[in-house]
Amino acid sequence: MLLTVFNGSPRGRASNTACLLEPFLEGFSETAGNAYELHYLAREKELEEHIRAFSEAECALWAFPLYTDCMPWAVKNFIEALAPFCGRQSNPSLGFLIHSGFPESLHSHNLKRYLEKLASRLGCPLIGTVIKGGSEGIREQPPAMTRALFRRMRELGQVFGRSGGFDPVLTARLAQPVRFSVWKLPVARIGLKMAELMYWNRMLKGNGAYEKRFARPYSQDNAEE
Amino acid sequence: MKIVVLNGSPDSRRFELDCYLAELEGLLETRGHVVKSFELRAMNIGHCTGCWGCWVKTPGECVIRDDSQKVCRAAINSDLLLFASPVIMGFTSAVLKKISDRLIPLLHPYFEIDRGEIHHRKRYERYPAVGLLLERATDTDEEDLELIRDIYARMALDFKSELKFTGLTGNPAEEAADALDRL
Repeated sequence: MLLTVFNGSPRGRASNTACLLEPFLEGFSETAGNAYELHYLAREKELEEHIRAFSEAECALWAFPLYTDCMPWAVKNFIEALAPFCGRQSNPSLGFLIHSGFPESLHSHNLKRYLEKLASRLGCPLIGTVIKGGSEGIREQPPAMTRALFRRMRELGQVFGRSGGFDPVLTARLAQPVRFSVWKLPVARIGLKMAELMYWNRMLKGNGAYEKRFARPYSQDNAEE
Repeated sequence: MKIVVLNGSPDSRRFELDCYLAELEGLLETRGHVVKSFELRAMNIGHCTGCWGCWVKTPGECVIRDDSQKVCRAAINSDLLLFASPVIMGFTSAVLKKISDRLIPLLHPYFEIDRGEIHHRKRYERYPAVGLLLERATDTDEEDLELIRDIYARMALDFKSELKFTGLTGNPAEEAADALDRL
């Protein structure tokens, strides 16, 4: 199978999306005869190339983060450019991998609905949608923290490489938690505090911006530009 | 009420949304509202690169200096932020999505628990109500409209606000002005 992958992250190569795709594509490539090509939608100047890649693809995987509760700009820009392909007979089958900084997958449910409708609007056979929450910072985490996730992504890729579909059990596991139960919320709260201290505050301090972290540059007390 | 309109029409050759907004803005002004309208397609606005500089380098402000700063300042100081767009491929325009992505400096990177879900923490004391004005395309169906509403309702949650108005350019501008008046 030849898989055409579109990475829609605004960060392109240096993205959490790329970190999730890497083990998936390794697993995918284990099946003899499988090959993939990778495109970065954030590279605005390559839009024509992306359209061509879509038009020639037999099977396409779109991967990107949730951005203000939907797709990032570059992905919408690409979608608009695909309007002429609506209903074309030879459109590729489409699979989606979406992830969010929010730990629960429920934040991505509307986007999943949109993407699946988009597949039908384009007339693309739908492979499915994989949702992964809690992806913020995985590109910087030590291997011990990401090992289990990357192993799962690799397995997902292996099954995809063999069957052309997303394994339902792995997909369901990756989507956990859908939401936190009342009992788990206190644990989640501790996790959020850890992220604050170990991730955000570390970066803020490294940039000498920690003291300004609650700044309100546009509040009316601050003079108009 | 202070109303900020984000006109997400991508093309000056499409008149429907532009004309509708001109009429609606006129009506709102005669009713005493202060309206500030941004024609996004004519503005110099780059796309978010995901650098998180607005959270960890220059908190509250994007490191890319362009017209997005004007929009952020006006938006956070308004009572209603109206997202206006033609429906293209089942969603609001890329032009509008570009500025939506650039509104994240208005939020704080820290998460908190809000109504049992994880959401961003407030940066500002108050946030504008969110409104949505859509121009249907020939392929737009009810499911598309419901999806767009659902997505903007969740976006409003993240902006510590609520989706309080949804209108269609197919309905009279008077009707929209009445609905906005009642907010």
